[in-house]
Formats: sequence, C-alpha cells, structure tokens
Amino acid sequence: MTKFTRRDVLKSSAAAAFTTFASPIRAAAPEATAVTPALIEAAKKEGKVVYYTSIDLPLAEKIAKSFEAKYPGVAVRVERSGAERVFQRIGQEYTSKIYAVDVVNSSDAAHFVVWKRDGLLAPYVSEDVAKFYPAEHKDADGQFASFRIWVSIIAYNSSQVKAEDAPKSFADLLDPKWAGKLVKAHPGYSGTIMTATYQMSRDLGWEYFEKLAKQRVMQVQSSADPPKKLALGERAVMVDGNEYNIFQLKESGQPVEPVYAKEGSPLIIGPNGVFKNAPNPNAARLFQSYCFSPECQQLIIDVGGLRSAHPQVKEKVGRMPFKDIKTMKDDAAAVEKLGDDIKARYTQLFKV
Amino acid sequence: MTATQTMPLREGAVRRRFDATQPIFYGFAAILCVLIVLPVYWLFYYSVSDKSGHFTLGNFGRLFSDPTFIDPLITTFILSVSTGLICCVVAAPMGWLVARTDLPGSRLVRHLVTASFVTPPFLGAIAWELLAAPNSGLLNKFYRVVTGAPQDEHLFNIYSFPGLAFVIACYTFPYVFVLVANALDRIPGDLEDASSILGGKTWATARRVTIPLVLPALLAGALVAFLQAMTLFGSPAILALPAGFHTMTTKIWSMFQYPPKPELAAAASLPLLVLTVILLRAEHMILGRRGYSVIGGKSGEPRLIKLGRWRWPALGLCFVVLLNPIVLPYGALLNAALSPVASQPVTFATMTLYNIHWVFFELSTTKIAVWNTIVLGFGTATIGTVLAVVIAYLVTRRVMRGYRVLAFLATAPVAIPGIVLGVGLFLTYTQPPFVLYGTLWILLIAFVTLSLPSAYQQLQSAVRVVHPELEDASRILGATRLRALWQVTAPLLRTSVIATWCFIFVGTIRELSAAIMLFTSETKVISVLIFDLNESGDLAAISVLGIMMLIITFAVVIAINRIPGFGSLRLRNS
Amino acid sequence: MASVELRGLTKFYGPLKVVDNVSLRIEPGKLVCLLGPSGCGKTTTLRLIAGFVEPSDGEIAVGDRVISSARRTLPPEQRNMSMIFQSYALWPHMTVTENVIYGLRIRKAAADVIAKKLETILTTTQLGKFADRYPGELSGGQQQRVALARALIVEPETLLLDEPLSNLDANLREEMRFEIRRLHDVFQCTTVYVTHDQSEAMTTADLIAVMNGGRIEQAGSPEDIYDRPRSEFVARFIGNSNVIQGRALDTRTVEFAGVPLRVTGEAKAGAPTPLSVRQHEITLSKAKPQDGGNLVPATVTRQIFLGGNRDYLVQVADGTQLRIITSPALNIAQGEQVWLHLPPDKCRVLVE
Repeated sequence: MTKFTRRDVLKSSAAAAFTTFASPIRAAAPEATAVTPALIEAAKKEGKVVYYTSIDLPLAEKIAKSFEAKYPGVAVRVERSGAERVFQRIGQEYTSKIYAVDVVNSSDAAHFVVWKRDGLLAPYVSEDVAKFYPAEHKDADGQFASFRIWVSIIAYNSSQVKAEDAPKSFADLLDPKWAGKLVKAHPGYSGTIMTATYQMSRDLGWEYFEKLAKQRVMQVQSSADPPKKLALGERAVMVDGNEYNIFQLKESGQPVEPVYAKEGSPLIIGPNGVFKNAPNPNAARLFQSYCFSPECQQLIIDVGGLRSAHPQVKEKVGRMPFKDIKTMKDDAAAVEKLGDDIKARYTQLFKV
Repeated sequence: MTATQTMPLREGAVRRRFDATQPIFYGFAAILCVLIVLPVYWLFYYSVSDKSGHFTLGNFGRLFSDPTFIDPLITTFILSVSTGLICCVVAAPMGWLVARTDLPGSRLVRHLVTASFVTPPFLGAIAWELLAAPNSGLLNKFYRVVTGAPQDEHLFNIYSFPGLAFVIACYTFPYVFVLVANALDRIPGDLEDASSILGGKTWATARRVTIPLVLPALLAGALVAFLQAMTLFGSPAILALPAGFHTMTTKIWSMFQYPPKPELAAAASLPLLVLTVILLRAEHMILGRRGYSVIGGKSGEPRLIKLGRWRWPALGLCFVVLLNPIVLPYGALLNAALSPVASQPVTFATMTLYNIHWVFFELSTTKIAVWNTIVLGFGTATIGTVLAVVIAYLVTRRVMRGYRVLAFLATAPVAIPGIVLGVGLFLTYTQPPFVLYGTLWILLIAFVTLSLPSAYQQLQSAVRVVHPELEDASRILGATRLRALWQVTAPLLRTSVIATWCFIFVGTIRELSAAIMLFTSETKVISVLIFDLNESGDLAAISVLGIMMLIITFAVVIAINRIPGFGSLRLRNS
Repeated sequence: MASVELRGLTKFYGPLKVVDNVSLRIEPGKLVCLLGPSGCGKTTTLRLIAGFVEPSDGEIAVGDRVISSARRTLPPEQRNMSMIFQSYALWPHMTVTENVIYGLRIRKAAADVIAKKLETILTTTQLGKFADRYPGELSGGQQQRVALARALIVEPETLLLDEPLSNLDANLREEMRFEIRRLHDVFQCTTVYVTHDQSEAMTTADLIAVMNGGRIEQAGSPEDIYDRPRSEFVARFIGNSNVIQGRALDTRTVEFAGVPLRVTGEAKAGAPTPLSVRQHEITLSKAKPQDGGNLVPATVTRQIFLGGNRDYLVQVADGTQLRIITSPALNIAQGEQVWLHLPPDKCRVLVE
C-alpha cells in the first residue's frame, strides 16, 4: 500500500528549511493573468466552484455570496472544517483519485509547502497579487498567496472579568486564579492553533504548556470556538483563538475584549491556492482572482475582522492597528516538519 | 370402478419455464457475503500489517503499551458499565409500571420512550451542552438565578465523565425498557394471581414471582445498553473532548487524523469487535434458553396491579425521567434555534428567524446534505428491506444448503460497531478493484450493512408466522419458489415490510459513526454536517438542522402508526 | 391418468430412518390410503411424492417417468400434481375465486376457459355463492371444499391429501368422507390419501397401506386388511381386535389358556403363535354352550353399558384379559363366571 507516504517523504527531506514565502528567486515569476470576459464565460459554463476552507463559516458564506453577486451564474460551494481536517480530507481524496476541490484556503501555511512540493497546485497569479502584494506574501512560483492574516490572541469575557484583573501575558495565564476558567483550541484540528502552538513552543518552551495543562483548561477544536465560548459565558478567558472572531463578537455588542500578550501574539497566515486537477478550473481562477481583489479583502476586514496584505484596504477603526501588535515570527516550513511531533506532545500533555 | 364422467383431457401441463429462483437466491446470498465479509477481512488484514504490507503483530504491541490507548480502553469500559447500570435502574421500574400496573397514561409513556429511542444520541448530547454546560448552560443559569449563587458555581457539568454517562443513558435506556416491558407483557396474570392467592402482597409478589421471571430480559437489556455505550461515537466526540478524555471510538477516529494510521485504527478496532461478539453470545445465551418462559396450559391476561394512591406519583416519576431525553433537550434546541444567542433563553421580544434563514439560504452545504440524506434514506430503506426479506425467507424456509451461514452473516453486523465498520469499509473501498470512496455508494453500503441485522430479525419473525403450507400450496399448483414468495408470502408480510422500511429509514438519517469516516464534501449528510458545525461552535445552526431531522423522523414514525391495520410501532431490540 | 409407483423409498433425517424401504404401486385412477398412527412416516411419504422432500434412497415414478430419486428430484411445481393440506392452506389475502383459479392462471389458461372451469367446479363443490368471499369468512367445511376445488380445477395427474378431515367435527367428517370419494369417482385422479382414521380409510380407499415405523406393514383392499390382518399391529389398528398368545399344537390348532382352539391360517407346530379375534366376534354366555369346540372359561372383570352395545372386559385362566363387545341386552355382572366361544373361522393366526 503506497498511501499516505507524503509525510514520510517529507520527513526524510530535511532540505525543507525555508519559510513559506522566502524561497530563492526563481527564473521568471509567472505572468499575471487578468480577468477576461472569456474567463468569466468559461466559469459560467462550469457553473460552480468548490472551496475547501477553514475560514469561519459565516464569513466564508459571505465571501461566497458576494462573489456570486458579482459573477452571477457561478455558485460557490463552501466546505468548511478545521484546517487539519481539510488537509487530511484532501489527502484522502487525492489518493483515491477523487478531484473534488477547486480552491483551498488553509490556516496552516505548512500545508501549502506540502502541496507545492507534491505538485498539486496550479500556478496562477491574479493581477492584484502581481501588482500589489509584497513578496513575502506570495509564492515565487505563483502557486499561492496570503489570502488572510491574523493573530491568535488571549481574550476575556468583560462581564466576568474586570479589565484590571485581566491577564496581560501568557505567563499570567499560569496564575492559579485562572484554573478552570480557561478555554483553548486544539492543534490536531485547527491549523491556526497548530501554527500558534509551534510559535509558542518555540518562544516560550514546552514547559509552558506543561504548566498550562495543569490549569484544567476546557479543550475545544476549532480556533473559532474559544471566542464563541467566551461570548456564551461558558469560560472567562481564552488562551488562543482567532482575533477576528473576537472583533466580530465585540462589534456586535458581546462582552469580549482582546489581549495582545506581552510575549507576542502568534502570527497566522492563511494562503489561498488553486489545484491543478480542479474540476472547475476556470471558475477556480475567477474565484481566486476575486479573493485577492480590494473588494474581497475589504470584506474580510470589515465583516471578517481579519487583516490583509493588500495595501489598498483600510483597517477598521477601533481595532488595534496591525503594525502596533507585537507578533511572533511565522515559519511554515518548521511547522510542516514538526507537525506530528507537536500533535503528539500536545496529546500527551492535555490527554486528548 | 367404472368411470362415469371424466373431464376432457387437460390442455397443457405446467410448462417448464426458465426458473429464475436459483440464480436470484444465490445472487442475494452472494451480495450478503460480499457486504459483510469484505470489510471484516480488510480490517483483519490491516491490523496485522505494517506500513509496507508485511505481517506483524507490532500494531497490537504499540497499542497496548501506549497509555494514550489503554486509558480510553479503561474509560470506555467504566463508561459502559455505568451506563448499563443507570439504564437498568431507570428503565426496569418504568417497564414494570407500564406493563404490570394500572399506571395512568401508560400509552403516552410508551410513546415518549419511543421518542427517546428515535432521537439521535449526538443531537441529544449537543442539546445537553446547551442545558448543562457549566457556565452557559440554561439549567445552570436558572440555578444561579434561583439560588443567587455566584458566577462560578454550577449545578451540572455536562463536560465530564458523569455527564457523558448521563447523556448516553438518556438515549440507551429505551432498549432496556422495551425488553423488560415486552417480557412483562408476556407473563400471564395467572402466575401473579397464584402468588396473591397464597397471600403474597404486591411487593412480595413482585419480588418473588415477577422479578425472577423478568431477570433474563433485564440482563439482556443491560448487555445491549453496555454495547451501545461502548460503540457510540457522536456523544463521546462531542462531550469527552472538552472534558479531556478519549473513549475507544474517539481514539480510533483520531487515528485517522493526518497522518492517518489505518493499521493502528484497525488494530484498535479489533478489541471492540471481539468484546461485542462475546457480549452478544452472552445475551443470546441468556435470552435464547426458554427456561424462564411459562410452561404449558392456558394462560390468562395479565392482571394489572392497582397502585392506589401511588398512581399519580408513579406517573410523575415517569415524566421526570422522560424530561431528560426529550422535554429538556428539545426545548433547548428550540430555544437555540430561535434565539440570537444560544445560551440566552428566548423571549417573544428577542425571538428571531435569522438562524433558520441562515441555515437554509446562506449555508451552502445544507441543500446537498439534505438531498444526500433523503436519497440515502430512501435507498437504504428500500434495498435493505428487499435484501432482508429475501434472506429471511431463504433462512426460515431453509431453501439452500448453507442457510445457517446466511443467518449468521445477516446478524453479524450487529457485532461490528459503526465506526469500526466505517474503518473497514474505508479500507476496502479506497483501493482497487472497487474504489467507491467519494461516492454515495460507499455510504449506502455502510448504512445497509448496519441496518441489516434488525431488519432481518424483524422480517424473520414475520416470515415464521406465515405457514409454510401456504407457499407449498402455491408451489404444488405450479409456482416457482420465487413466484410463491412474491404472490403469497410477500403480501402477507406487507405490514412488517412497511414497518421495517420505516425503521431503516429512521436509523439511516441519524447514523453518524460510519458516515464520519466515509463522507466527502459531495456526499455529506445532515448528521455529519451537524457534527462539523459543532466543531466550530455554531450551535444555532445545529439546532435548526437538528429540529429538522427530528421533524422528518417523527413524521415517518407517525405515518407508520397511521397505516391502517398496523398499530403502534413495536420497538425492537436492535 | 398415470400410475404412481414407489420403489424402495427411504428417507433419513439425521440418523433417524423416517421412511424405510417403502414400495407400493398405485394403479391409474385408484385411491390409495396411507393409514397409520402419528410418526409412522405417512406424511413424509406423501411429501416425498409431492416433491417437497428429497429421498435418501429409492425412487418415485409417475407413469414411466422417474420424478424423484436420490440423485435428482423434480421440484413440486413441475410435477402436475395437486395437494390438499391439513390446514387447507387457503391464501387469506385472496378471495375464494382467486384461490381456486390460481393454478389455471399459472398455466396461462385463457380467460374464458378459466371462467367456465371455475363455474363448473364451484357447482360441483357447492361453493357457488361463496365465490367472492375471503377464506376467513368461511366455515371449516366450506374451506375444505375450497381446497378441493382449487386442487381439482387443474385436473392433476395425481391428487395428494394430507389428513384433510382432521380439523372438522365428527358429523362433518362423515359427510366429507363420502364427498371426497364421490369427487374421486367423478374426476378419477390417481389419489394418495394420508390419514390415521381407519373409518376414513375404509370409506374412501380402493387400497389401504398400513404403515408403522416407516414401513408398510400390509397393503391390500379394505376387506383384505380387515379380514386377514397379517401382523399384530395391523390387527390392532383396524377393527377392534384382541391379540392372544398361544402355543401351536399343529398347523390348525393352537392351545390357549389350557383350551385347544381350532384356528384359521397356518400355524407352525410347537411355536408360540399370536392369534387375533375381533371384539364383537367372541360370544359371551353364562351357560356353557352345547357346541363343544373353542370354549374358554373366564371371569367378568368390568362391564360398561354404552347404549348401542355393552363393553366387557374378561379375564381367562392364564391371566390374559380380553375385550368383548356384545348387544346391550346381554347383561352379566362383574365377577360372574362366563363361557367365551371363539369361532374357529374368526380366530386368525397372525404371521408377524
């Protein structure tokens, strides 16, 4: 049986020590492709595009709807689950030669390292990406680009915790007074948390997690869940979770407040890519173009609470400006190499 | 003897037509074999292979020396025992009250137990999250309001081992209830009359006569409850993870996380399989021996024991029990569906239809999930019923040499937990020659396989009731077996066939443990969609979908009851 | 019509030999009765003829066609036979008409032919006004006749009846006995009739085969069986017999209870010999009769008045008890000494 040997291959190739985007400059970057009426027609003929993503579901559906509004006749089918499950699913499907996915977005940038190496992605550079996106946010071979950016933050429920008492750093969370009051998500399900866990373990050491495990933390799966649990009032403080969910909740009147840890907040990058074997290739490319347009990027900021690499979009007032946030450094290649290890150690510590 | 009047020479004796009986019957038998044998074979194969395909027992070694595997094993065992005990303690008295006493509203109680039976356990688990999550649960909020307790205190914590046992018991106790109530129904009143004539009061009679007679059914029920608890996937996946522990089923599922370790998953599945087989043998031995049944003579109708002034308290007790699987959870789901924030009780002012709108018009997977579920429901019910009828016929009438093997195969899947079957089917159908993964077919196969045992058992009892001479009479007049089956037996089985169809339909809609292994984005079903939504905490959407699922289920169940000449759905041990 | 012949028919169920080397020839158009107690193998033999059971050994032939043998058995639907079952086996979901014409429908007879034959048979079996009723609405006797109609309308070569009258009450049974014989005379099918009731056998059969323990003990006409029983079993089963044990003095004389009896049949000198004498053929008297031969003294041990006759139980010198049926006028009290006269032509030597 030669299934699932990808990881084996990857494990043994130690040469994979480059970050997602800082690859050596290749011969010629692929040409930017404009959105032409021909492309739109072809996409309409195909009629649909299948988008595997770990983006928060309401946001994903909003993106889908606004795309459909702009290009009527092309429907978007959103398949949402945790990034790790998306990756597993795609792996399972491709091994059985099932080509169902057109465009993928993952909150675990390491996935794109794998897919690129396996030659599964199609080189496609939209005009926006070519013109506006900085080099560190797009693949040199044009196979993917940063669709969304955010951080994993600490947050608290302001009706349960007073601002003065709120934790200010990860170290604060180890205080016994927070025992039984914390919620966090799981790197085995969430790409965001996988990346965050890597960065935190690198910067704070695994001893931090050992101590955290003793705090009777409520374990959930998706990085979108801790903010929701805060809003429900189920727990008082979240250890990790999506900043953008906190923005959405706060801006709709829920009593949640973000905290940007003193040690730095893990930086998460979620690229978008088109598959070579996409069943609806033209629709896929049209959608990919749309994703990087100022329209869509503004949407993900306004509605999604995300950050964008597109220089033409405006941040929302009331949120911490991105440049003011101290972030940890991302390293997708390392995540990809250490992923199994991280999951195993985490499971050992947190018992699930 | 002189011939007086002879009829004119008959025109045409029975012509020898091509008899399709044998090929069709052998075809069905072959399908059955393929359905069951293949996944089990691959399961065994994988469990004793390593990554390069060589034979090894290393998988078992790895598993049993790994504490993250032993712990779930122990946890599952304790969980199943606890659930079995809770079910017996709750269901046995209720069964006695309903079957042997003049409890008012006993029919209503039976209906409500049926309702617990058809509620998907994972939906119940989610609903109980809404009710009993330590901080946001509605019940805890109510408690805090009433007692003025501080924010941190809670009465119930559903994210705990007792919480999980409680939820599983809620939806497993109907099995014990049905077995006990049916057994009590069948004990004729004479036996208890004999005791009271000799001076035994109500309690003494119950203790000395009734209970010993019903003990086998109770034990069998406890075994079934144990089995169910051991093999459930949805509820543990929803409640155990936040509580911080794994059960066997969630552990097996986690082995398919990237990178998948199918060998380990297969090896971990085998203990479950073996244990299930052992327990089923035990149940069969307990129930199979008719030693406890009534011997001979003409029996009287069971005489109902008068409860006197205990009537209404007893009914109250029953309703308190039934609050847990039905009233409270359904209420919580309804609340979450209509409320802007799932943890807030909804009022007329805050009520909103946004959630419903969102699920049906903005969630892009809804349509396809609903469509798939309905297609699979109809397909599985139809194919499963036909398969079960033919196999039941073949076995009961002993049509072919290996009929005992057929009977074994038809009931074998009951020994395969849903998730184990999912693993086996995944391994079977993701490789040549049959690559069915990614199609609805693999789900169809899984659902048919899982529903076959109870369908077969129901139909087998029905076929037994049809006198074989009715078919013989048809055959001697020239009909082939197949024709006799079609023209004589099948019409007489009509009500059982319809009941079985509905039963399979309902079971398919709520199946999760096999579906979670086998679905892809194109072949998602409602149960998987709900599970996915729980992963991201979208409780409102879950509630809307869950209520829709319940509506479909109850519509079908009520429809069966309305079919003229049929009567109420008899709960079967499945 | 064709003959039916059983040659060395044997059937094992596991180690149990249920039918043991049965050979019988039934002439065309004749009615043969298989008579015997329950468990003697008569029903199994019938089901072998019908084809529901396959023989372990031996064969069955209809005319010159072998239809059952250990190697190959024709299935019931291809034998052109009809059968009446003990339970009648009327299909409850079909009307009387539908039940009756079922066989014709299978033979694909034309609609007008079916109508005509239906009318004829319903008249013959006096079921005219029940044509549209359901079996559940009919009495036992009427159901019986529907079964007959259904079996006869297809004009089978062979008709099989499996204890058809055992579910009827006594009066109806008598009536239906004659009815079956009458219908047989009309249709002249080769018929095999299984029963345990000797009066049924005597009324309806051309040939009686008495079965016991899977074998045919004796086959012959009713007079044959009655007047010349060859074994103790047959003697006891047909007619009410006393079987007494004596010792043969010569071929015509058997000593019993000290009295030499002249007997009919061949006795073997010196051997212990069983004799059968019918219960109503022994004469009972208080005074010793003039005629000197075959007189045995006895004591009355029991006497019962049955209305139409009296039932005596007497005991002779060597302890043997005999049962005697006399006219009701003869009234001898218990304990009285009597003389039994056993007429020589009624004392039959039993061969087995």
